[in-house]
Amino acid sequence: MTKASVSPTCYLFTFEADPEFPTPRSGQFVNVAVSDDLTLRRPFSIAGIPAPGRFDLLVEMRGKGTRALAEKPIGSAVGVMGPLGNEFTLPEPGDVSLLVAGGIGTAGLRLLAQELRLGGHRIRTLVGARTSEGLLHHVLPSQAGDEEPSLEVATDDGSEGFHGTVTGLLKRALGEPDAPARVYCCGPPAMIAAVAGIAAKAGVPCEALLEEMMACGVGACRGCVVATRSGYKAVCSDGPVFDTSELVLEELVRA
Amino acid sequence: MPDLTTRIGNLTMRSPVMLASGTVGYGPEYEGIIDFGVTGAIVTKTITLKLREGNAPPRLVETHGGLLNAIGLENVGLERFLAEKLREAARLGVPVVASVAGTSPEEFGQLAAAVGERDEVAAIELNISCPNVERPRNPVWSDPAAVTEIVSAARAATSKTLSLKLSPNTSDILSVAEAAERAGADALTVANTLPGMRIDIKRRRPALGNTTGGLSGAALMPVNLALVWKVAGHVSIPVIGSGGLADTGDALEFLAAGAAAVQVGTALFANPAAPAEIVKGLETYMEENNLASMDELIGMAREERRICTETT
Repeated sequence: MTKASVSPTCYLFTFEADPEFPTPRSGQFVNVAVSDDLTLRRPFSIAGIPAPGRFDLLVEMRGKGTRALAEKPIGSAVGVMGPLGNEFTLPEPGDVSLLVAGGIGTAGLRLLAQELRLGGHRIRTLVGARTSEGLLHHVLPSQAGDEEPSLEVATDDGSEGFHGTVTGLLKRALGEPDAPARVYCCGPPAMIAAVAGIAAKAGVPCEALLEEMMACGVGACRGCVVATRSGYKAVCSDGPVFDTSELVLEELVRA
Repeated sequence: MPDLTTRIGNLTMRSPVMLASGTVGYGPEYEGIIDFGVTGAIVTKTITLKLREGNAPPRLVETHGGLLNAIGLENVGLERFLAEKLREAARLGVPVVASVAGTSPEEFGQLAAAVGERDEVAAIELNISCPNVERPRNPVWSDPAAVTEIVSAARAATSKTLSLKLSPNTSDILSVAEAAERAGADALTVANTLPGMRIDIKRRRPALGNTTGGLSGAALMPVNLALVWKVAGHVSIPVIGSGGLADTGDALEFLAAGAAAVQVGTALFANPAAPAEIVKGLETYMEENNLASMDELIGMAREERRICTETT
């Protein structure tokens, strides 16, 4: 394991996987044994494949688990279960995809961005954060060589880019000619609910990668459920990627 | 090579290490992750007559040395369990103990009859002690009369081995244990989780959707160990120890206290290899201490046992 600081609160970790570790697909996650002192592992989205046999995790220092991971010395062996969960539905050739990330939600879309670029798909990216310090767009695959400006950023405090939320940018993007045929989003529940609502109004299919507290990571304990139109589903094994038209958005955002 | 073969009623297991209800789903979820080959038995997610959606999320919150859960007995219901899940579980090549919960003695009887007639079911665990479902006052798990009715109903419905899962949340566990034994239980699983809660200060709300949940994990271990000690000294049917055990040392303590078998639960989340490690660890311990069979291990810390060893 190696790590690099990418913002005041986030690290990009790169793991060298065991040979039997399957190649992860965008949307999947790993359940990581971050500390012997904690009862649970911590789930993290796979945030990139820098080389065959390796994978990245983009992690924000938020609590005991994430700090325990960050405190591990470079070169540590870390217990990792995975890759777990389902995958994003990839777009049709020629379609424009719109990636919408809020804060650390960028982690959930970074591998997708890499896969789409490798596959020759056209993508546009909207990245938001509370302040410019929280923006993580610079860890996304390089925008160089693009004919059109394909990345826009928004900050709640206006310290960088659009002054407001990414959903403001999203409304504009969906109204433009050559509008995206698909939306992918990851971020805080309120952002996902807003993005899902806007995409639904515009009639554009939208998938969200959800985050939830997890125990087993394989669908056994039923601890990480989300309300859907067909009942509670496990984020770990039925997700973490959900078609947002399936989600009960009012229950996604916790009072 | 020491013999870890463990017998609970008519249930014969290759090791005393079972997997606790609620933590392994129906089994196949953990296929390829847990080594079922050395595991004594899996205890399924608790089955109810009708499907249950479970509680509103959040359903989990970590605590110091433990975990609070309020799943709310989410399960596929009896019909789908019998039609699908049970067959899938049986394919794992490990004895399947069906955990069931009813809302009345009649329901317990119905459930025990339905799962008991299936060859894939090696034994039945009666779950009367889930802290996350209704009946706030005078809970069944503290009521010897209610326990007598439930166990009697299940006993009349099946000849399969029956274990009653007790709650640690009672002031008089011995009366409950006694009632279960008299009504025909073959074993007692000691014990379920303890109720607890945490508050999410950011949201100014209880952290769990259900407000309270069941505490499991290392923090629970000494509590349930004390109950195993108490119950095993009081009844003559086998006791299955459960509660926060995570490694060989913990398992040895439960066995030394008088448990005939142990269940690993929450520890699986951090370490799915725990059951295999414990089996290996028990073998090593028995070899090093010249113990040939489980009988020599069970209750080895008990006074009556020590006197017995000294005089022979």
